[in-house]
Amino acid sequence: MQASRARLFKEYKEVQREKAADPDIQLVCDDSNIFKWTALIKGPSETPFEGGVFQLAFAVPEQYPLQPPQVRFLTKIFHPNVHFKTGEICLDILKNAWSPAWTLQSVCRAIIALMAHPEPDSPLNCDSGNLLRSGDIRGYQSMARMYTRLAAMPKKG
Amino acid sequence: MGFDSISNSSSPLPPFSKDLAKKKRTNRSARLKQSKLDVRREQWLSQVKNKGCEVDSSGRGGSPPSCMQIPHMQNRLVETSEMRSREEENDNSSIHDSDLESLLNSPVGSSLDSNASRKDHPRSSSSTSSDCCSRSLSEEEEDDGCLDDWEAVADALGINDNQQNPISEPPVKPEARIGSADTELPKRSSGVDLLKTESGGVVPISQMNSRAWRPDDALRPQSLPNLSKQCTFPMNSERHCHRAIPWAWKSTISQPSSCPICCEDLDLTDSSFLPCTCGFRLCLFCHKRILEADGRCPGCRKQYDPIHGDVGFNTGATPFKIGRSCSMISRS
Repeated sequence: MQASRARLFKEYKEVQREKAADPDIQLVCDDSNIFKWTALIKGPSETPFEGGVFQLAFAVPEQYPLQPPQVRFLTKIFHPNVHFKTGEICLDILKNAWSPAWTLQSVCRAIIALMAHPEPDSPLNCDSGNLLRSGDIRGYQSMARMYTRLAAMPKKG
Repeated sequence: MGFDSISNSSSPLPPFSKDLAKKKRTNRSARLKQSKLDVRREQWLSQVKNKGCEVDSSGRGGSPPSCMQIPHMQNRLVETSEMRSREEENDNSSIHDSDLESLLNSPVGSSLDSNASRKDHPRSSSSTSSDCCSRSLSEEEEDDGCLDDWEAVADALGINDNQQNPISEPPVKPEARIGSADTELPKRSSGVDLLKTESGGVVPISQMNSRAWRPDDALRPQSLPNLSKQCTFPMNSERHCHRAIPWAWKSTISQPSSCPICCEDLDLTDSSFLPCTCGFRLCLFCHKRILEADGRCPGCRKQYDPIHGDVGFNTGATPFKIGRSCSMISRS
């Protein structure tokens, strides 16, 4: 309990200090609860998610950093490893491959990497996974781009 | 109407002058940058021919830093090159040997020792490396005899030469000269004489040598560019590569002051506690908690060695610390 708080506080300070270090990630701590964080990440370039801004919700357990934070997408995203309805993310480092040496910032980086390199063999979004597994890259990309435009980009108008 | 015309004519002035000022500022910074570039360029050029330096050192070039620095730098280069000829064998080998020795003599991770030897090393390696590049330079200089531009400088400096040589000889390299100094000195002066008779151009260089600064000299002006900085970097990385003693550089490089897991400060016991071969450090408290959970090292995700987990603390700790940490475990 105390350890997780101290650790999160240090991460908070780190984030404040290195705001400009990673322009693709914006980590914000909840005003009243240091165990609730949100992050805004930019879709990586040369992917169908380019140009989109995706919101992530972090729920940090009290055993953090011995246990991984629970992360999910708040923004709709068409990606084989993200549940389309709940936003749950299937990522090894958020489950069994977690290491206490990781930070919320590095989790964000890992999620950006996952967006650029989907893993269709362990899909949470079967439609998306099937498109990729059947080799329909174009279909996957156009679907993903459509949802990026619909959900992750500012409405024009 | 007349007023209008005046104001009209004067109105474009302010922006213009502002523009001018801006241009001036950018010009100045550009010139500064340019002069730095010049210095570097001159260095390379001087390997081919010495004429380029003369133009700048006469001071008309309009770039003050460069005309200040170039003669100094050349002095230093040539000076180090001469020094190298004397001590290249014993300097190089002795430093490396002593470094190696200190590493071998302290097989347990006594980071103090390795720190000390490491602190020494970059400087020495830098000086030798700068010697490397300067030697080829000076050799080429002496080979081509066409140094007519230096003659004027030689005449101007010729008056002081004789007094300066004996005076400024000692500070050049007081240490590491015990055996060789006496035997080498006459040889050197005779070499200077020989050069004097051959071509006046080389004389000022070799005599200005004695005034040059070593990189670690306290009297060395701060404004002098530090050549060794450029040279040390590749040397350093090379050193890390071919000296494959993992604990040595880990103890110097990755020595966190606080536990990366719980962010508490590492005390003496914690900082000498190396639970995993990957070198990831953490405090005893977090280590214990991890052992109670899945027992994998946060750094490499390998399972902690069960022996280490029970007894702990064998690696990288002195016997005294082992005893203490064992008692802690048994108490808890």
